Amino acid sequence: MQGPTASSYAQGAPAAPAPAAPGGVLHAITHGPSFAMLRVDLTPGQTVVAEAGAMVARHQHVAMEVKLNAGRKAGVFALLMAMIVALIRRFIGGETFFVNHFTAPQSGSVWLAPTLSGQIQYRRLAGERLVLSAGAYLAHSGDIDLKMRFGGLRGILAKEGAFFLEVSGQGELWFTSYGGIEAVDVRGPFMVDNGHLVGFEGQLDFNIRSAGGGMLGFVASGEGIVCEFNGSGRVYLQSRNVGALTDWIGRLLP
Amino acid sequence: MQIDVMYRPAHSLARVLLPHGESIVAESGAMVGMSPNVQMQTQSQGGLMGGLKRMFGGESFFRNTFTAQGGPGEVLLAHALCGDMVVLDMTQVGYFVQSSSFIASTQNVQIETKVGGFRSFFAGEGVFVLKATATGPGQMLVGAFGGVEQLNCDGNLVIDTGHLVAWDASLTYSVGKSGSGWIASFLSGEGLVCHFTGQGRIWIQSRNPTAYGQTIGKLLPPRSG
Repeated sequence: MQGPTASSYAQGAPAAPAPAAPGGVLHAITHGPSFAMLRVDLTPGQTVVAEAGAMVARHQHVAMEVKLNAGRKAGVFALLMAMIVALIRRFIGGETFFVNHFTAPQSGSVWLAPTLSGQIQYRRLAGERLVLSAGAYLAHSGDIDLKMRFGGLRGILAKEGAFFLEVSGQGELWFTSYGGIEAVDVRGPFMVDNGHLVGFEGQLDFNIRSAGGGMLGFVASGEGIVCEFNGSGRVYLQSRNVGALTDWIGRLLP
Repeated sequence: MQIDVMYRPAHSLARVLLPHGESIVAESGAMVGMSPNVQMQTQSQGGLMGGLKRMFGGESFFRNTFTAQGGPGEVLLAHALCGDMVVLDMTQVGYFVQSSSFIASTQNVQIETKVGGFRSFFAGEGVFVLKATATGPGQMLVGAFGGVEQLNCDGNLVIDTGHLVAWDASLTYSVGKSGSGWIASFLSGEGLVCHFTGQGRIWIQSRNPTAYGQTIGKLLPPRSG
């Protein structure tokens, strides 16, 4: 098979940004679906907030400020809890709940990327609520509130789901996946393997349970725990499962 | 010599077409396949000390020279990580290359290992850079983790060291902390960044190999024994 020649290479010519939604920011998602990267072109005074560690590059005049993400109207208790969780997660990995605010006094760009291989999904929020799995949040701009939700016992059972991030408000959101992202519009019951769940709309009814087949099914089917949705709304899935990858690599290590 | 990059961007493979008598120098382990008339010679450029210096900088002790004999030949080269590759035409000023991104170059390209300073060494980010220069026309093949994007630096750019692939040697760079203080830098999760000033091109990779390794590493089941 003949690949492109060295001379025909338009290597990494900057992608034209997508037109900004009213009041929104200019952005471009490139290198998807395997290694997606997000570029945000800020006009003077605009701010984009991103998960700690997501910055690839920025213009030097774009100011970066690290902040604790505890929601806009968080009380003392919520703040304290956010602080503790943030510190724990800073050391054990996963979403840190420290976020970086990038603000441009004059026009400038920020390049952002997630850690794992995968896609970046853009979604404009107009008041609706979205629940994201831990690690799926990449960045946002506008009047958006991020709230950490403890998944409870069922969340712990589902491994990935000990923490969820509830996103609501008006603005722009970018989230990320391990693998490609598939948006499924659910009507009625729908099941997703917990390791493949990226996020879902808040109005959906959500339960965690065994995939079926009783105890044997739980152990032998390899499907473990599934998330069951009811109602109507959108569910985002990822085409790969981080737990499956680490199990596989773990067995091959010396 | 012609270098084609195939199967871009996720799992790229470079095909080097060598005219009779010409050579390409590649990192050890980069060779995927070659025609029977291509001769491979293993050597440690710069002798023992040169090899050790390279090893310290995260490259291979030995490099292999592939030469087409008795007619044209073909060599296939790949990077260890999933991602894209770029062929850079040598320029007057040359390039700086992040050491683990270097894959191969034409024989006239001089590669020098530069140590990025103790700060970068202790931070475990492995900011070891190579300086690549050539007296005549030549080419260099570099590989990325993820996609490659060319940024044009016109003044000032700040780039996470884990995302650097290569840059024009006309740029001035310095490695430093990402935030205003060490605590802010630590909490921001950005680790070390490289400040660039001047005019030139910078190639970045869309994924950070160290960050990827750490994330996956923490999720691995504990080793038995």
